[in-house]
Amino acid sequence: MKRFEEIPHTADWSFRAFGRDLRELFANAAFAMFALEGAIPTPEGAAGISRRIVVEGIDYESLLVNWLSELLYWQEQERETYQRFQIEEISPTALQAIVFGTPRGKIEKIIKAATYHNLKIEQTPEGWQVVVVVDV
Amino acid sequence: MPRPYADGLMIRKEDFTRVDEFVWELPRAYRYDMRAPARLYADEALLDDALGDDSLTQLVNTATLPGIVKYAIAMPDIHQGYGAPVGGVFATQLPDGVISPGAIGYDINCGVRVLASKIDAAEIQPHLNDLANALYKNCPSGVGVEGTTPLTTGKLEHVLELGAEWALQNKYATRDDLQHTEESGKMPGADASKVSSRAKNRGMAQLGTLGAGNHFIEVDRVAEIFDAAVAEALGLFPNQVVTQIHCGSRGLGHQVCTDYVNIFQRTAREYNIRLPDRELVCAPFDSEEGQDYLRAMAAAANFAFCNRQVLAHHIRRSFEQTLKGKVRDFRLHQVYDIAHNMGKVEEHELDGTRVKLCVHRKGATRAFGPGSPVLPDDLKAIGQPVLIPGSMGTASYILIGTAGSMAQTFGSSCHGAGRVMSRSRAKHEIRGDTLRDELVARGIAVRAGSLPGLAEEAPQAYKDVSRVVEVVHRAGIGKKIARLEPMAVIKG
Repeated sequence: MKRFEEIPHTADWSFRAFGRDLRELFANAAFAMFALEGAIPTPEGAAGISRRIVVEGIDYESLLVNWLSELLYWQEQERETYQRFQIEEISPTALQAIVFGTPRGKIEKIIKAATYHNLKIEQTPEGWQVVVVVDV
Repeated sequence: MPRPYADGLMIRKEDFTRVDEFVWELPRAYRYDMRAPARLYADEALLDDALGDDSLTQLVNTATLPGIVKYAIAMPDIHQGYGAPVGGVFATQLPDGVISPGAIGYDINCGVRVLASKIDAAEIQPHLNDLANALYKNCPSGVGVEGTTPLTTGKLEHVLELGAEWALQNKYATRDDLQHTEESGKMPGADASKVSSRAKNRGMAQLGTLGAGNHFIEVDRVAEIFDAAVAEALGLFPNQVVTQIHCGSRGLGHQVCTDYVNIFQRTAREYNIRLPDRELVCAPFDSEEGQDYLRAMAAAANFAFCNRQVLAHHIRRSFEQTLKGKVRDFRLHQVYDIAHNMGKVEEHELDGTRVKLCVHRKGATRAFGPGSPVLPDDLKAIGQPVLIPGSMGTASYILIGTAGSMAQTFGSSCHGAGRVMSRSRAKHEIRGDTLRDELVARGIAVRAGSLPGLAEEAPQAYKDVSRVVEVVHRAGIGKKIARLEPMAVIKG
C-alpha cells in the first residue's frame, strides 16, 4: 500500500496519507510530513534518537493534528528528524507512540503547522485515508 | 437556489453579481449558511485566477462566521490557504462576534518593513555584491538558524509585552522607527502569560532571524514615482536605494496559533458554533478563551515587530560596514512597517455610526486613509503607507491608504502578488539554479540558502503584482505612490 501522495496546493503543502488501520494511517501521515520536508539526517551513522510521544484530542481528527504538531515542535526544538513511527496505543481521545529519528542536517524548508483545513479521516474499502494541509 | 456547502460544486463566474468595475459579489443567498455576502476585488483575469483554486469557497466559509458584518472581502491577490483564504478580510461585531485564530494564520504579524536610504542606485552599484554578502551574513536566515540576540525567559516576556519598544530600550531602534510602525510596534493588551511555554521555547533563539519560505530581504531602487508630493513626504525620490524586510513571528507565532486552534476545538463545541471548516474554529470575542487568544496573538505580534526591528538594525549595520566612506550618507530611515496576518479591534463606520469591530486580516494589510487618529503627525495628512512586495525578481509597490479603503474594506488593502501555481508544480517545473542565473543575468544579486526553496518562489508561481496593484488603485482602496525594482535578493 502506498504510504502517501502529494496533492497540489497553491500556497501550502498538502498530502493524502493511507493506512490499513488507524495506527498505520497516523504513522504514514507523520512519515509524509517529514518526507516532504526532505531533511537530511546528519552526520552519517549518527546515533539514533527515540522519543516517546503522548497526545490527547477530542476526536481522531484533533488527535491527528495534535500528533503532527507535537512532532513539529520536537523537530524544531531539538533539531531532529524522524523516519519511523511506532503507534503503541490509539483511541479517539489519546495516542501513545515512540518515534525514531536522527539529528537533523540540512533542511530546505520547515513546516510551520499542521492544520484542520477540511480535515476528515475516512474509511475506504482498502483501509483509511486522510488529506492534510500543512502551512509552510 | 441556495446550495448546501457539501455539494462539492465549484463556484462559477455566473454566480457573481458585478457591483462595480472591480467588485464582484456572491450574494448571501449563494449558500444557506452564509451570514453575509462575499466580495472579491478583481478584474476579469484575476477573477479567473481566483476561480482556479479553492480560495473563493474559503471566502464563502468565512462569510458564515457568527457576528460578521457587511461582507467577507477578498483582495485581488487572493489565493487558497487553510480556513480563511490568503488575501481575506472580514470584521465581526463586538462584544460577541467571534475571533478566529485560523482566519488570522500561523505566522502572526507576518509583515513588511521598508527602509529608505539617501543613496542613488548608480552610487551603490559597484558595492552591490559586497552589500548582498554583508546582508546575508548579518541577517540570519534559513531553517533552524539562531539569531544573534539570545533571550532568557524573562527577556522574552519583555519582548512579548513591549514589542519594538524593547528594541528601542536595547538600542536596536530609533524613536522615529517606532512612530513609523503599525501600532507603534507595540500591540495593546499583549499578555505573555497567555503564551505557552512551548511557544516561548520556540521563540527564545529566533529573535532577529528571517526564517525561510517566502521571507526575504531585498535591496530595491525606486523605479517610478506616481505621486510626487506624497513620495516626497515619505522621503522617497527617483532611483533611490531602499530595502524591504518580509518576515514574521517565527516558531513562536506558529505555536501560539497551533495552541489556540486546538483549545478552540473544544470551546466551539461548548459555544455551539457550527462551522464548514474546523480550521475556522473560533470563540466569542468577549469570552474568556477569545480574550486569552487576543492577548497571546498580540504578544506574538509584538515578537514579530521586534524581530523586524532587530533585522532592520542588522541591515543598517550592513550598510555601514559596506558603504561608509564610499557613499555620502549610508543611513536608512523607516518609511513604514505593516502587518499582514492580524486580528485587531478597530473603530469603523457601520450604517452611519462608529462601532468597534474585530477586523481579521489574513494576507492583507491595514490601509488607513488620511486623517486617521492612529497615524503619526507626519502621515496624518497623507494616509498610511501600504507596502506591497511583488514576487521575487519583480516589482514591488508603495501605496497609501485612502478614504475609499476606509469606506469599502475596513481600511484594508492587498498584501502582495498572490500565488497561482502550487509549490509542488513550481518545484518540478522550475530549477532553482536556472532561476538564480536568470536573476543574476538581469543584474540582480542573489544570496539564497536553498535552491529548491528559491524555485518555489519563482515569479511564474505568482500573479502579476502590477495587475493586482492596478485593481487596488482603480477600485480606490489604495493609491499608488512608487514602484520599486529589485537590485539584490537575500533569502533563507
